[in-house]
Amino acid sequence: MGIVNRAFRNISRRKTRALLVVIALGFSMAIMISIPAGIAANQQATQNLTSNLSGTITQTEASINQTLTQIDCSLTPSFEGFGFSPGNFTPGQFGGGGNFNFTPGQFGGGGGRIPGEFGGGAFGGGGSIPMNESVYTDINSSLSGVAAVAPILQVSEGHNVTTTMYGRSFTRQVADYIIEGVPLDSSLIDNYPVLPSNITAGRNLQAGDSGVVLLSENNSAYFGAGVGGTITILGQNFEVVGIHGTSGASDRTTLYMNLSDAQTLTNNTGYITSLEVFADNSGDTTSVASAISALHTELDVVTAQQRLSQLQQVQASYTSELQTAQSTMNQTQNQAFEEIVVAVAATSLIVLFVMLYTVRERTKEIGTLKAIGFSNWNVMSQFMLEGILLSLMAGAVGVAIGTIAAPFLSSILLPTVSPFGNSGFRGTFTAPTSSASAVVVDPQLMLIAFGASILLGTLGSLYPAWRASRTRPAEAMRYE
Amino acid sequence: MSELVLKTENMSKTYTLGKRNVQALSNLNLQVKRGEFIAIMGPSGSGKTTLLNVLGCIDKPTSGKVLLDNIDVSEMPESQLYKLRRNKIGFVFQTFNLLPYLNARENVELPMENDGKSKSQRSTRAKELLAMVGLSGREEHRPQRLSAGEQQRVAIARALANDPAIILADEPTGNLDSKNKQEIVKLLANLNLNHGTTIIVVTHDGQVAAHTERLLLLSDGKITKEKQGLHLARKLICPYCGGKLHAANEICSTCGKTAITKKKPLTAKKGDAVNIASTNSGGD
Repeated sequence: MGIVNRAFRNISRRKTRALLVVIALGFSMAIMISIPAGIAANQQATQNLTSNLSGTITQTEASINQTLTQIDCSLTPSFEGFGFSPGNFTPGQFGGGGNFNFTPGQFGGGGGRIPGEFGGGAFGGGGSIPMNESVYTDINSSLSGVAAVAPILQVSEGHNVTTTMYGRSFTRQVADYIIEGVPLDSSLIDNYPVLPSNITAGRNLQAGDSGVVLLSENNSAYFGAGVGGTITILGQNFEVVGIHGTSGASDRTTLYMNLSDAQTLTNNTGYITSLEVFADNSGDTTSVASAISALHTELDVVTAQQRLSQLQQVQASYTSELQTAQSTMNQTQNQAFEEIVVAVAATSLIVLFVMLYTVRERTKEIGTLKAIGFSNWNVMSQFMLEGILLSLMAGAVGVAIGTIAAPFLSSILLPTVSPFGNSGFRGTFTAPTSSASAVVVDPQLMLIAFGASILLGTLGSLYPAWRASRTRPAEAMRYE
Repeated sequence: MSELVLKTENMSKTYTLGKRNVQALSNLNLQVKRGEFIAIMGPSGSGKTTLLNVLGCIDKPTSGKVLLDNIDVSEMPESQLYKLRRNKIGFVFQTFNLLPYLNARENVELPMENDGKSKSQRSTRAKELLAMVGLSGREEHRPQRLSAGEQQRVAIARALANDPAIILADEPTGNLDSKNKQEIVKLLANLNLNHGTTIIVVTHDGQVAAHTERLLLLSDGKITKEKQGLHLARKLICPYCGGKLHAANEICSTCGKTAITKKKPLTAKKGDAVNIASTNSGGD
């Protein structure tokens, strides 16, 4: 009959009390596990968002810098309200993960040709209004300081989705893919970035190509065809010669082909949707842009510098929003830390009181043990062991509850955390790529919580056990 | 047999109750020889239990000396006292004080636990002692399944566990009916008679005192009267069946056995244990 055996028997003798301690300690441990897990998930989500966005911004910046001489020209959209509004999301609402998506608009104004450009013409935000090809001849022949001009035809193909709201039907087009016709002229495509540069399979389009397409990875999945395969667009067959990787949000669903192929295919012979004008040198872009505007007042002319400054505005705006969000999160974290401290303090008090009560109740037993030759240490270790065993059980229960219920507990305790990280930013944008991160409990955290539970049990029973060991046997014997 | 087991020299014990000092024991001088069976009687509040507690090293005298086996224990720190309590003293309480969540054997093993004995040694010894007090076959029963008399017998076996120099019993029969009381008294008397165990019993009961060799009457913390020769009366009672012994040859008129008056030391060698209780009372 050892000390451990006795401790177990004493615990099982007082089942309700043991259960109470196990629940209290266990719950506290569960809180201790779920809050940091929730915070970690939050941080991971922010980090994902930040790295996604900053990656896209860097990429876009790089591509704009590569094409500093480029001027985008397209017909001014006749409608408004597509403006990108970076300050629209509410900080503190983002949690698990989430998506950013820039509403197409301003950025797509120029026709969205540049890889990595935000928005772009992908969803028809701009640059998809057909104009007569004669504009091209005008600009190409009559302006000085122009090195090259690329006429582009961009047509979005998709299906209609009808939704009924308040008794009225609304139909909108959902783009399946975007056909982009590019003049396959070697002096143009060899020297200027009019085609995607990132080819992941097959080859890029070449001068003289006809009846062939360059698909994006999305297109390839949509059509179910790879390099060497044949796809049918609007009733006509095309051979797939290559796949391009996505370098930004705009070209994810864009497939490239010969301009004249595109014009014939989409019944747009003689029409284009945008012009990409390349100035002789970057210092000339402003004067060339004003000359274009003067010649064709109906055109919306955007230079690389303008795009860059708009991008920087977005970046600055995002950075400040991120800072606000971070400080909100830090606040939440501090609050969470306080919650943990309170939970832990309350729990150790519970252990303390329960153990004190137990010691008081067993005064006579302690007196007897001392009278028959138990040392102070024997008595103390007996009570310590009971406390530690209780907290071991509680720790196991707590870790189990905490691990299973972490997403729910953390969403209850931290109101801004969403359980599985799907809700994301409740703002106006969704991320370039999805970056959901669910609330997952780190094994290290489980170990820490388990250790903390044992520590609490030990601390909570230290004083009662000491009191027990100091009980004077003569007094204990008188105690009824 | 004149060796002293216990000796007090001008021992006093004062309690402080609020602002009042209560003199529980005053200048007590007591000598206990090895093998003696002593009863302490006295009215309530006369200091009987206090005396027993001080002698048993669970309380300390305010002044004077307590010598246990010629060791002065009055100034000894708790860090050494517990070993004395474990090895030299056996306690028997009025309310038995068995641990309810341990069975009889485990209760008896308790004092041996921290004494360096192996698990099997403890178990064997506990079984021997339980057999000696007449509880063979009940080793695995918990206290709640034992009668009051049986519980007290377990407590006596526990007191004997480490072969102590002296047994201190505080009202051992106080919670028992008359039948069980008889058994416990006979058990103690026979331990003393057959195994030479030194026993001090605090009691209110004259019948219990009648089995002892020496009676101390305590009043206001002082020994006011001492009676010797009670053992003569005791010797007239047969230790085996409780019948009357012939005064001259000590042969029992009921069972015909000769009472053993020659004392021998208590050892727990196998086969040496005498099942006193069962031979004495004819079972429970």
